[in-house]
Amino acid sequence: MTGTWHRSRPVVWLIASLLAIGLWQVWEGSWMYAKAGLAQLLLQRAWTRSLEGEAMPKPWPWADTWPIARLRMPRLSVDLIVLAGAHGRTLAFGPGHVGSSALPGQTGTMMLAGHRDTHFQFLQELQPDDRLEIVGMDGTTRRYRVTERQVMDSQRDSIATSDERAELILVTCFPFDAITTGGPLRFVVRADAIPQADRS
Amino acid sequence: MLNEWFFLPRARLHRCARILMVCMALATSGVGTPPTDAGSAESPVTLSTGVVPTMGINEGTEGTLLFRTDQAGRFTPAPVLKTDVHIAVTGTIARATVRQEFTNPSTRKGDWLEGIYVFPLPETAAVDHLRMHVGERIIEGQIKERAEAKKVYEQAKQQGQRTSLLDQERPNIFTTSVANIGPGEHITIEIEYQETVRYDDEQFHLRFPMAVGQRYIPGTPVIIEGQVPTGSGTMLDTDRVPDASRITPPIQSPRYGSINPLSLSLTLHPGFPIDKVESSFHPIISIPDAEGGYHVTLRADAVPADRDFQLSWHPVARTEPIATVFTEQKNGQTYAMLMLAPPTQHDEKAPRVPRDLTFIIDTSGSMAGPSIDQAKRALAAALPRLSMQDRFNIIQFNHTVRSLFAGPQPVTTTTIKQAIHYTERLSADGGTEVLPALRQALKSPQESARLQQIILLTDGQVGNEEELFELLHQRVGTRRLFTIGIGSTPNSHLMRKAAEFGRGTFTYIGKVEEVEQKLERLFRKLERPVLTDVSVDQAGWSGLEQYPARIADLYEGEPIVLAMKADALPSHATLHGQVGSRPWSLPVSLNQTATQGGLSVYWAWQKISSLMDEATKEGRAEVTKTSVIEVALAHHLVSQYTSLVAVDVTPARPTDVPGTEPGQTTNLANMQLSALPKTATGWQLQLLLGLSALVLAALVRRLRNEVA
Repeated sequence: MTGTWHRSRPVVWLIASLLAIGLWQVWEGSWMYAKAGLAQLLLQRAWTRSLEGEAMPKPWPWADTWPIARLRMPRLSVDLIVLAGAHGRTLAFGPGHVGSSALPGQTGTMMLAGHRDTHFQFLQELQPDDRLEIVGMDGTTRRYRVTERQVMDSQRDSIATSDERAELILVTCFPFDAITTGGPLRFVVRADAIPQADRS
Repeated sequence: MLNEWFFLPRARLHRCARILMVCMALATSGVGTPPTDAGSAESPVTLSTGVVPTMGINEGTEGTLLFRTDQAGRFTPAPVLKTDVHIAVTGTIARATVRQEFTNPSTRKGDWLEGIYVFPLPETAAVDHLRMHVGERIIEGQIKERAEAKKVYEQAKQQGQRTSLLDQERPNIFTTSVANIGPGEHITIEIEYQETVRYDDEQFHLRFPMAVGQRYIPGTPVIIEGQVPTGSGTMLDTDRVPDASRITPPIQSPRYGSINPLSLSLTLHPGFPIDKVESSFHPIISIPDAEGGYHVTLRADAVPADRDFQLSWHPVARTEPIATVFTEQKNGQTYAMLMLAPPTQHDEKAPRVPRDLTFIIDTSGSMAGPSIDQAKRALAAALPRLSMQDRFNIIQFNHTVRSLFAGPQPVTTTTIKQAIHYTERLSADGGTEVLPALRQALKSPQESARLQQIILLTDGQVGNEEELFELLHQRVGTRRLFTIGIGSTPNSHLMRKAAEFGRGTFTYIGKVEEVEQKLERLFRKLERPVLTDVSVDQAGWSGLEQYPARIADLYEGEPIVLAMKADALPSHATLHGQVGSRPWSLPVSLNQTATQGGLSVYWAWQKISSLMDEATKEGRAEVTKTSVIEVALAHHLVSQYTSLVAVDVTPARPTDVPGTEPGQTTNLANMQLSALPKTATGWQLQLLLGLSALVLAALVRRLRNEVA
């Protein structure tokens, strides 16, 4: 009982498994974060190809998504490639375009979703009147002005969309600094298109 | 201190355990997180800035109706709204007439109200009539294209006319707007809709939604319309902002709660002998009529609308499939509904068809978590139920395809053990390549003596439509293809079409929590085929248009229902099929059939659903819209593109009383937030967990060294 516990196998095992779990979790966490950044590099290349006219260029051979727009926010130096489809698999690599919403260049609500702890972290710093830019696949840029930010509950709220207004909605999880995932709250940013003539 | 630790190892262990617990607690509670975090399912008003939960305010007083005023937080109590429901059931079609009475409780002169009533209907509901009763007069709603109907409504509203508009917001959510209800006035709105009755567990079920829970209204579309202007105003459908006078549109909560008295009556003509009629939640009186039907009423004259009405009826037990036909003549066309119901009792003597089961399971990264776990459990439960004459195979795919066996293998204890082991080890990672997996499944030879069922489960976008259909065209042959889509991304249209092509079914699983249950149900169904290769003798029909176009197999517990339209019907038709390897046929008389209303609507609704499937296809949206509008207008149906509008031509509101502000029309639609994926990776949590584990490891090691 006295003084031998530290030599016992369970303690060695405890240390070994804590080490293993620790390294594994650190690796998984960092990989997830690194992936979010690395993927954007590959995506930038695919984006260039798409501007050159290639339809649905795959950023890597086994990808099941492709870039469809570029989201920029000059004030915070944000420059992201937006992917087709907003689901778990695409969101790891970049913000995703919600399939049922309008595409860049079309009128109507365009909706993008992104991870609050990687690509869409910058949403928390957005202020009303901030400018956002969406570059479409044809290379044209449309500018938006942030009009509204709100927190919604995904279990009960819905977002009004329109097929006539040119607007942009960005959705991410809330709160931004929550450690656990899977909460019901969403941070929703709404931005109105600035008419082409008015480039103030 | 150290010495103390040295001699009291137990205390030190406790200390260790405490540190571990603190670390875990820190990690899971979320350091630096505001108190309203993830776990709280109900997040109240304060957080939803700009969004006020509809009835959050009156949750405590159970369903009191409120009219919102222009002052935030102030409400006028809503009038008692009376609802009368009559439902007529024919075969599997239930036709319901719902009368709702709207009242303006205000006695103040000039308080002209607009009522917006959001109500749920079953997913399969087709609404085709709207009537407005004003005093003695009845105004019948006209079906118009959605934008046009809205324009008519707005115009009438401006001119002070009583008007009513019925819109379909989503497949199961409808809104009725009624403008210009004068102070103290009543207006009755009558809507008619029909739906198909559900059949499972060997009985038919009809549900009339009364108490509205999460089930029917996961979101609250009312919010957006009635929201107090926040200044930005973008969420507001400005044309629904109240007249300049004091009152905003009265909002009728879907949870119309116990103060809303409801009366209900029902006639039941199931088309085959039935055993008993039961109501799950309300006492009823059921009186049989001369034609083998029943007349059902609630025992109480009016009940509080606080729970759904659910009626079930059991067919008399039999061991043979039976067919029932209903017909309707309309505008020189004949509409028919043919129902082929499976036996209610399992016929032990019936030859069992040997099956070849191929499970194709998506193990791409997005399946990770509950999806793959539940799919594994459902599969592990289904495997031991295979019989000795069956064969099976499991194929998993992500960016590569892995097949358990080269082709379907006979069921033996060894193969089942192998399969269960294989299933347990399935884990989700990588991309999605459906085609090669399907190709692999279609490699094994066809055998007409066996029922070859392929079950394809994926949560990904299945692209490359042409290639997929080319493959199916060439290879599917007599095999049956059942497709299952999980989550918000699956290309439902494509998967439904693929299943129809493969004479199987498409199962859509919207919520990850339902994966296991829905798969379980499908697997059980697939075990009990009654009839295969079902067809209707085409002789004597002219101009037949039928939905679904390819008839699926008949399984126990689920009838086949065909919606048909033809210029002329033969007097008899014959149904053909196979019971095991034995041919089967059943003559059905078509001129003796009961004539019923609503079949044309049923047919039109089936046609619209099949057209709507096409809408998701690229470049098809416009064509689809035109065809849907054409069918919907001809059959008076409310759809995504058409609405019903009724206008009383006599102005009711004096025009000098302030009217509604002319607002810009925005086409309102709603996107369910819950349909979006989770938007956090949780890498910080993993890092934190990892680091705490490392720190702990170091701590324990140091302690050990000190001790040594």
